[in-house]
Amino acid sequence: MPNSVCPTCVELTIPCVPEFVGVARLAILGVASRMKFSYDEVEDVRLAVGEACTTSVEWAQRNAKEGSTITLRSEIDSEKLTVDIFDNAGARNTDPTGADAEQEPENLGALLITLLVDEVTVESSDGGTHVRMVKYAGQR
Amino acid sequence: MNFKMDMRTLDHGLPIIDLEGEVDVYTAPQLKQQVISVLESGAKELIVDLTKVDYLDSTALGVLIGGLKRMREADGNVTLVCPSPRIKRVFEITGLDKIFDIYNTQEDAQEAIGKENI
Repeated sequence: MPNSVCPTCVELTIPCVPEFVGVARLAILGVASRMKFSYDEVEDVRLAVGEACTTSVEWAQRNAKEGSTITLRSEIDSEKLTVDIFDNAGARNTDPTGADAEQEPENLGALLITLLVDEVTVESSDGGTHVRMVKYAGQR
Repeated sequence: MNFKMDMRTLDHGLPIIDLEGEVDVYTAPQLKQQVISVLESGAKELIVDLTKVDYLDSTALGVLIGGLKRMREADGNVTLVCPSPRIKRVFEITGLDKIFDIYNTQEDAQEAIGKENI
């Protein structure tokens, strides 16, 4: 994952626990502020990244993956900000028949991410999950 | 972590939770405990004041939705005070502004609750 040749990339690895999600938000706030984003767009990115990290933390807790980490990797160019969020918090095996599934914070989080960024992809495996989100400048 | 929570009860028994700072996956469990204690006290109405909140995520929304659901089951309500456009936007884009009663000031929220209970 580490990339030393990308001149506009920022990488941060944090423990996959609730108290460090704010650190990831703070880091992406700084990165997003370097883009030609409006104030609202910067806030959108902060919230979307916070939600992605929160989902990782919740799965780490559910899978009892102590010691797991989240790696945040961002890349800026003149048109867009791309953020990759990798975790090693285990598989995400959901139960779609669960009661009140639509009201689970995790589902609200996924909804928020979809609404806040322009593109989002999620690749999950037994070991963990990779979320990629892209936000274009000048969309709003 | 920048988070503060104060619980108080007005003279006529209306509980108010004042929140400040960031309500997220780390701090929302404290809010959940407070909401549960209000529910267990038998209160029918609750005001949650988000005036000084500068970040609120889906975990916090989940706590508020859970509280609202249980309050409404008992013919009560959770009323929000949220003058900040940035925080209000989170409710708007998720459609939750249609579910919660949201006011700009505590006075407006108290007045609305008073009228409903007449």
